[in-house]
Amino acid sequence: MMASIRQTMAMSRATLLSVPRRMAISLSMVGSIMLVVCVLSGFLSMARGFEITLQSAGSPDVAVILGGGTREEVNSEIPPDIARSIMAKGNDIGVLRNASGTPILSRELVVPVEYRTQLDTAGTTLALRGMEASGLTIRSGVTLSSGRLVSSGAREILVGEQLATKYPGLDIGNDIRLGPVVWTVVGHFSAGGSAFESEIWGGFDAVASAFNRVGEVQSLRLKLTEPTAIDRLKLSMSEFADAQLMAFTEADLYAGQSEATAQLIRMFGWPISLLMAIGATAGALNTMMSSLSDRTVEIATVRALGFNRFSAFFSTWLEAFLLSAVGASLGLTLSWLALNGWQTSTMGANGAQMAFRFVVNADVMTITALVGVAIGGVGGALPAFAAARLPVATALRARG
Amino acid sequence: MTTLKTESPFIALSGVSKTYRTGNESLPIFTNLDMTIQGGDFVAVMGPSGSGKSTLLNLLAGIDHADTGDIQIAGQRLDHMGEAARAAWRAHHLGIVFQFYNLLPMLTAAENVELPLLLKPIPASVRRERVAKVLDLVGLGGRGKQNPTRMSGGQQQRVSIARAIVADPSLLLCDEPTGDLDRKSADDVLAMLGYLNRELGKTIVMVTHDPEAANAANRTLHLDKGVFVENEQVAA
Repeated sequence: MMASIRQTMAMSRATLLSVPRRMAISLSMVGSIMLVVCVLSGFLSMARGFEITLQSAGSPDVAVILGGGTREEVNSEIPPDIARSIMAKGNDIGVLRNASGTPILSRELVVPVEYRTQLDTAGTTLALRGMEASGLTIRSGVTLSSGRLVSSGAREILVGEQLATKYPGLDIGNDIRLGPVVWTVVGHFSAGGSAFESEIWGGFDAVASAFNRVGEVQSLRLKLTEPTAIDRLKLSMSEFADAQLMAFTEADLYAGQSEATAQLIRMFGWPISLLMAIGATAGALNTMMSSLSDRTVEIATVRALGFNRFSAFFSTWLEAFLLSAVGASLGLTLSWLALNGWQTSTMGANGAQMAFRFVVNADVMTITALVGVAIGGVGGALPAFAAARLPVATALRARG
Repeated sequence: MTTLKTESPFIALSGVSKTYRTGNESLPIFTNLDMTIQGGDFVAVMGPSGSGKSTLLNLLAGIDHADTGDIQIAGQRLDHMGEAARAAWRAHHLGIVFQFYNLLPMLTAAENVELPLLLKPIPASVRRERVAKVLDLVGLGGRGKQNPTRMSGGQQQRVSIARAIVADPSLLLCDEPTGDLDRKSADDVLAMLGYLNRELGKTIVMVTHDPEAANAANRTLHLDKGVFVENEQVAA
């Protein structure tokens, strides 16, 4: 057993020491695997970043009620009388009350608005959310990072950190035109990098009056007594069958919204990456066959000395694994340096821009590293078998 | 067919046939070849190209197999062994000296010599001692850390001989050991083989084209078209 390990180690060492002789083709294998890992981790980190941005906005003990049978806030409509009825029910439907006994809930409106900068005259669509004062306390993890809160009824807004970073025109104190009226930026808020940070928040009444939507309610946000209270809330929605009301936890709502987009990203990413991986596997196979050809006499010599077949098999496969591991490591390092934290934006669920960051986390790195190493494993398997089955006498004759 | 029969032979080939096949073409090398070699003998095998010298050596090394016939070495039937058993047999009983040395260029001379010892349960310190000892024996003491590619042909062949004898095998197979060397280096190598045969009792089978190399052996077998056509007894 020890002798078998010793000969395998000696053969592996000799094989790895011979890699510099095959530097060019070995580097091409490393490069192709690095490329596959970069592309795959690019797609996966985009999908993961999108998911995290939306999912981190959702809390399991906050409920969102939408009307009109839609899961999109921007298309939702809750008749005012029904909104009042729900607000009046309060604790009966699992909604938490504050110290003064008032249900903790917020009527909300989301309006896609065009924001123009001097450089971007075409404009960008942003989400302006009108909410009641309780909307801030309902949302967990939201803090005022600078400035102050909006005054009731005033045309003042708070801007999410992601937007504030991207658009310098949204600095505190600036007056900006959103829709028909001018608003004053009075504060910035942070929400742990979640989708909330891609929104602009104003008072419910101010937003409703600015856009001629007085009396309309698109969504109700409620603080639940506990996460399981969502079942009671869902049951109570059957009382308002005409309005086709649906209740979700924030977590479920955003998970549903993120899933479709993340799946779409992955649907593009995986086939492209797998096609590239097939090409890289063919490259790895070619590289390792070259390695085998280069080492034919050496393998035949040690086999003639009495080394077993396994040592030839293992050393060839090890070379493939190590080259692919180098490629995967370089690919991951490049991806991490170039992509991790890189901010971009896409069209969110409310038809407005939603900023998110690429996330090259442990999940993404593990999956892409496994794909990279698998390319070496698969591409190196056939040459490794060929090395083990090398006809010693023929190989030695070739040298002569 | 030439038969060399002596009492209790160390090597005994009986009725060995070997044909190489490529597609529909077949090239017969041996048909019913018999041969015996005594233990401690030093035999040169000569013959023109294609006569079957190298094939004979490959059969004796167990790196090629006969189509039919018995191959017995030191009481063991090679033709009855599987691939793994023949590899293990080579590790314990055989040393090979190649025409082009076949040293691993990425390893030092000492590491090359050590390779056969890795196949045996020998501690590292003992391995190092034995490597140093055989390098001394072949006149390369103190050159163990040198890369063989920086050595002359004669020195490389001496490293190859050191590798062949380091595990103390009973049989040495030499394939044109002087074929790539100048006369002086060739004479040194032949003297070394003679020493190993006389002083250490190694049985040596050497394939060669070189009549002077054959003179170093105790006797010479002449192969032609797969048949021993004559044999000479040469004074030791």
